[in-house]
Parts: sequence; structure tokens; C-alpha cells
Amino acid sequence: MAKPKIGIFDFACCEGCQLQIVNMEEDLLNLLALVDPVEWREAMSDQSDHYDIAIVEGSITRDEDAERLRKVRESADYVIALGACATIGGVNKLQNNFAIEDVQVMVYGDAANMPHLASTPAQAIHEVVKVDYMVHGCPIDAHELTHVVRCLLAGKQPVMPDYPVCVECKMKENGCRYEYGEVCLGPVTRAGCDARCPSNGFWCFGCRGYVDDPNLEAAASVMEQYGKTLDDLKSKMALFGSAQEHKL
Amino acid sequence: MNIKRVTEKEFAAWVDALTPKHTLYAPQAKEDRFAFDRLTAGEDLRLDYDVSILPPKKYFLPQKEVLIKFDRKGNFESVIAHEPFVLFGVHPYDFVAMDQLNTIFEQDNYDVHYMARKEAATVVVSDVQVASADVFAGCMGNATVEDRDGYDVLLTRLDDGSYVVETRSEKGEVLTGLLSSAVDADEVTLQQREQVWNRTREQLQKHKLEMTPEQIPALLDKSYDHPLWAEKAELCHSCGSCNLVCPTCYCFTVEDELNWDMETGQRYRQWDGCMLTGFATVTGNHNFRDKKEARYRHRYYRKGKYVWDMIGEIACVGCGRCISACTTNIANPVEVFNQLSEEQQ
Amino acid sequence: MMSATELSQVRDIYLPQKATVTEIYSMTETEKFFRFHLEEGEAFDYMPGQFMEVSVPGFGEAPISISSSPTRVDKTTFEMVIRKAGNVTTALHALVPGEPVGLRGPYGTHFPVEDAMKGKDVVFVCGGIGLVPVRSAIHYVLDNRDQYGEVTILSGTRSPEDRLFTEELYEWKTRSDITFLETVDKADARWGGTVGVITTLLKRIQINPANTVVIVCGPPIMYKFVLLELRKLNVDNSQIYVSLERHMRCAVGKCGHCQINGLYACQKGAVFNYADIVDVKEAI
Repeated sequence: MAKPKIGIFDFACCEGCQLQIVNMEEDLLNLLALVDPVEWREAMSDQSDHYDIAIVEGSITRDEDAERLRKVRESADYVIALGACATIGGVNKLQNNFAIEDVQVMVYGDAANMPHLASTPAQAIHEVVKVDYMVHGCPIDAHELTHVVRCLLAGKQPVMPDYPVCVECKMKENGCRYEYGEVCLGPVTRAGCDARCPSNGFWCFGCRGYVDDPNLEAAASVMEQYGKTLDDLKSKMALFGSAQEHKL
Repeated sequence: MNIKRVTEKEFAAWVDALTPKHTLYAPQAKEDRFAFDRLTAGEDLRLDYDVSILPPKKYFLPQKEVLIKFDRKGNFESVIAHEPFVLFGVHPYDFVAMDQLNTIFEQDNYDVHYMARKEAATVVVSDVQVASADVFAGCMGNATVEDRDGYDVLLTRLDDGSYVVETRSEKGEVLTGLLSSAVDADEVTLQQREQVWNRTREQLQKHKLEMTPEQIPALLDKSYDHPLWAEKAELCHSCGSCNLVCPTCYCFTVEDELNWDMETGQRYRQWDGCMLTGFATVTGNHNFRDKKEARYRHRYYRKGKYVWDMIGEIACVGCGRCISACTTNIANPVEVFNQLSEEQQ
Repeated sequence: MMSATELSQVRDIYLPQKATVTEIYSMTETEKFFRFHLEEGEAFDYMPGQFMEVSVPGFGEAPISISSSPTRVDKTTFEMVIRKAGNVTTALHALVPGEPVGLRGPYGTHFPVEDAMKGKDVVFVCGGIGLVPVRSAIHYVLDNRDQYGEVTILSGTRSPEDRLFTEELYEWKTRSDITFLETVDKADARWGGTVGVITTLLKRIQINPANTVVIVCGPPIMYKFVLLELRKLNVDNSQIYVSLERHMRCAVGKCGHCQINGLYACQKGAVFNYADIVDVKEAI
């Protein structure tokens, strides 16, 4: 039987999530034993017109990108959104806090009106096409991606956690970042990263997006008790929480 | 079996002698907190720890544990660990919690995965030397465990830095046999130990329970519809932190994972928590405990009543871990039980 | 302390036994009928109303009610009807005869076919796939027909396409020694029968409440209404048995998911005497 064809595509992003795939070392060989990459700009030059699985990195910030994404969707049986830019819009959505004209001037200065720089408010890819599965994170955890791919190849729906990072952080036996005087987004952020940041001494940045029903009011209510302000929390939430469904 | 008085120096030498001979898990510094971990050098031992971030139950019921190996042809094989190890320096309240879990995993369907670890363990209890900020084991009757059975060695540090080392079983003797040069504890030493215990019972009451633990089940019997559950749960993140740090929580989920060969794999169990949103959701998405307050209440009923109904013990030992783990301060069992009690009267 | 050898001889409560799918066919759009045969090892003694944990290696385990009766198949054979809903059941639906599964069990309590129901009139109230476990009890009763009084089967489904065991339903309808009534929530053009929820049927039967045992099994939403109707018929709570579904992982009273307040549904249920749980707030 022919190996399933995989295409990897990127839109507005730093391509750091693809880099995580390239860096998988032994697991990359294991993955290549199961699938056949037919399009992957970052690693190869071939192209194809059908994909069993399309892995899409990046946000949609231009009309022509939306069009290209729709073509990818049409050519793929499964679409996996790869990384925060693709799954939640990520840091690209910071621009959605401002008028798009102002953002263009801020970034491109005098060249802001050049037609090829025309931009639209950032969108996660599921806001443009149907997405079958999301691998969250900035960057992604390559183990999660390979788990998802193995599940899809076996015909199994991968289970995405709907509980906060605290679960994994506690299992890792970390001290709570709040006890270190930090504002941590762990209690409202979707788990699945094995509490990577808190395990390395950082607060959770919220890169995996909120859990389905985040209690943001509860997070806000304790700022004073920890000697923090609501603005401290909001500024932490801006990075990955801009233009999301849930807001404070 | 025997009780020795061991000088500080002899004690340190004893631990140094144990580390190469045995697989020891003991409290050690983790940043500015403490955690049980493999002890390879005696100098890393911190019996002055106030509380470990996770309870030592993780050695009997690991966070993630393979139960079964399988292949897709339908062959299943149990994976059972039974390498001997020593849990060194368990606080009394944590021992009480482990003892409860031992009963629960042994009775009504013997869980061989848990029990194999339990059987392989030698448990050295150490009386609390430094009280943590939120400990209330003294209110729960679990500050000391001299009148309980089931552990192998009991360590009590006296004010002069020497230790009283009481051997309680043959397993314990394997360890304390190395202390043969130490003197037997005399009457004065035993009195000093009593004094330490009395003081510990007083000190481990950072929160004051306004009732005896045995009154909690009856209190909960009358409190099901109390407004407190909804009031407190308002600030609940459903993050399960209180579950995960709790020494008596033992709920778990079970999942399969396939290996790269796509043919073989393992079935593992992993800690779960009744405070997590989907804990009682069945396939098809009906959630039998879909409200935060119902999940919040369920946890306290497990601690104060359901486990009591099962094994006759209160499943809150007073370690206080949930109190400090909860970022929104809603997880203090003493506060909950006291408030329910006040408003009953 | 147990030695390693001794431990290795202790039965692992989580270890499935290998079984094979011997028959599989579609009953509705979402339900398939399965027959499993235990390959080797001990046969399982089971009673109507009990369930098994069914494994598809790599996909996981799911608790599934046994639909066959020990009066009709030997103890190495199990019939089940499985709705395609999650990963395990989807994988089960993809199986073909000859492929392996794992089975462990049987678990839970059973319908009181050998005690409370004996000599009594019996009313079965089934909603949707609630018929699946109840079919086991129905077969058991029909195979020992002279040991029970009047037998009434009430069955409701959402639509005519959702009806299970249609040939058996026909047989039950035509038998003179039982009363069989069915309804659908929503009819189609070809449906000539009753339309309405299951309680519609309860309003149409006459029972002798003092001498009747009622078995109720259906979706969570159904119980409240059926129990209300049974109260109107003056059936004592202790004469009612309900089978309750809950999330389960272990089925051996450890994992905690199935708790109904303090009760482990996998141990004290899934079949409960209603009088025992009438005050258990999370039950119905």
C-alpha cells in the first residue's frame, strides 16, 4: 500500500513549528517510514495536487493567502493546523487590536500603501476553512504532532485536552508560578504541552489558547492578592489572547 | 521491634550507607520547595522539609503508568513493577493517606499494579520537623502516627539533633540493621519523643477545624444544598490542582497509545481529577456533573463522606496542599467544613 | 510481602482476554450487532443486565452491555449492539469477522431475573438502545416463561429507522403470551403504529402494581418521566429497577468516573433498585 501523502504549508508565521519537525531527529525517520511528504517548502522542492494530510502553519493575513488555503483544503483529506499562528491566530492577532491601516504604517512606514503589502486582520486557519485537528503551541511539541499523525493514520480521533496547563504542571511537580510572584496563564490555558514553560521556570504564556470555558474573571479576581493589577494580567493575555472568543 | 537513639552524626552516616545499597526516594530541595526524588547522596536529604509539592503516593500510583502491553492481533500482557525501593522520610499525614489508598486498591478488586509497588516498598516515616504554612494534620488526628501500623521505620528528631529510630517491621530491620552500634533508646529519650509528638500535634494546626473529623460525614449529610458550593465554585478554574496534589485522590483515566510500528502499543493510566470539566462526560457528550458547583461539592463529599462510607476514614489528612495549590483560594477544607458547620446552627 | 512470583499469579483486573468477532452487521445507521467468541481461557458467567469492557487494542476500552442471554448462548459467546460514538466504538464498527478484540468482565449488577422478578408480572420499559441490555433479560424471561406472570414489553425509539432487533420485535408482537407495545417519537410515511414518547405506552397498560416488577432502561432524559408515570400507576419504588449509564474507565470501582454521589455505578449498578437510589441526588 502506498504511504499516505503529506503536504506541509505555511502562511504568516516564523516557520518555527516546521523547524520543530525538522529537528525531530530519530522521530523524523520514524515519521517518514509511515508517510510520504510530497510538498514541504522548508525541506524539499516537490509538489503534489492531492494530500492525505495537509499540515498548515501560520495565520491568514492576506486575501490571496485565504484563497491558497482554500485550495489546500480542497486537495486534502485531513487538515492539521500546526502551531499557535494557525490554531488560534497567535501573535499575529496582536495586530487585530489596532486599525489595519495604522498597523501597516507602523510596520512598513512609507511603503505601507504598496499593493503587495495589503493586509487583512489575522485569522486562525479554522476561521477560513474547516480544520480536522489542531496541534497547538508556540512552538508546537513535535511529540504531539507525531501522536496526532499516528492517530489519524490508525483512524483514531486524537484527544485534545480540555483542561488547563495546571494539570500537567502539577504532575510535573513544579512549584506554582504564582508563589514566585508571577502572573501565569496556566489556569486558563489548554494543556497538552506538558507544562513546558513552568517546568523551565517561566510562567505560562498561554500559547495553546484558552480551555473551552476559561474562568478569566477568577484569574482577574486574584491579581490584588498576589500584588498585581488587572493590567498585569491583561498584558500577559495580549500576546496569545488578542482577538480571541474569550476576553476580560 | 526496637527503638534506638542515634546521634546526628551516626544518622548521617546511616543514610550514606543506605544510598548505595537501596533505591531510596526521599524529600529534597526543588528550587525553594521540596519534592520526593531519587536520593543518591545523603547530603541531599532534607528531613526538615515542610511539605513536598506532590505527595509520595506517586511511587505507588505514578502520574502515568503502563498497565498493559498489547499488539493489534489481540494479545494483551500485564506490565507489573516490583523492584524493591525505600520511601524515606514520609510525613505522618502522607502515610495515613497512603494507608487509605492501600486499603482501597487492595479491597474489592485487588489492583495488582498498585499493590506490587506497595509490596515492593519499605516505608520510613519521619515526624514533621517544620510545619508548612497550611498544614492542619493536627486537627485531623494525623500529625503523628505512633498508634498506627503499616509502616516500617519511624524517625523522630529530638531537639539536640539526634534521632529516635523505631523499627516496626522486618522490612524496616533490613535498613536499621546497619545501625547496630547505636544505643537503645532509654526512658528519657522516649519521654523526649513524646514531647516532640505533643508539640507537633499542636503545631500542625495552621487552620483550626471547629469540630472533630468524625463529625464531618454527618455535617455533609445535611449540607448538600448549601449555597456555599456555588459561591466557592464561582472562582473555580476547573484546573484540578486540588485533586492532583491531594494525597488521597486516586482517580485516573485509561488510554491506549500505538507505537511507531503501528502494531504494538500500551494501555496506560494517568491521574485524573473530578474537578476537571469532562470528568463525568460520557461518549455522546452528556456530562453527568456539568456544573462547577456540583464538581466542587463532589470533591468535598469524597473527602468527607464517600470514602468514609467505604473504609471508615476521612479522606482529608490535613496536609494543606490543596490550600496552597489553589490560586483562587477556594480550596481550604477547614474553611469549607467550618462554614458549613456554623451555618447549620 | 508478596514475592514477584506470587504477584505474577495474581489476576490482573485490567487484563482483557482475547476474543474474536464472529459476526457483525448493521442494525441502524449508527448501531451494529456484534457476536464475540472467547478464544481461550475461562468462560464468563454472566446475567442479564451486566456489561463487559470491550477493547480494541490501540483504541482503548469501552463498557458495553451484554445483549445475549445465558439461556441462549454458551458462556464463551457474547452478543452486543454497539452505537458508533467515540474512538473505541468507531474502531469496533470497522472490524470484520475474524478480527480480535479484548474482553474483560462481566461487571456490575444484573436484572433480578432469578429473584425479585420470579413469579411476578414483569414490565420492560426500553428507550432507544436501552433495549440492548434489556433484550438479555427478555430472552431469559421468555426462555423460562412459566416462571413469570404477565410479561409486557414497551419499546420506544426516535424514529422507525432506529428500531433494533426488528425480527424479534415482530416475534414479540405476534406472541400471545406477552404484551408488546412500541412507539416512535417521530414517524415516517410507512409507520402505521403509535407516535409519541415512551410514557405514551405506559398510559395504555393496566397493571397490578403490587405484583409487578418494572425494568427501565433508556437515555438519561427518559428516567424522570417514566418514573413519574410509574408513580401514577402506584408501582412501589422497590419494584422498579433502573439501569444507569455513566462514564467509566476501569469498571472495577477504582477510577472514580462512574460515581453517582458515593456509589460506583460499575459496582453497585448499572442495575439499581430504584428504592436504593431514590435519595441519591445525582442518580436520576
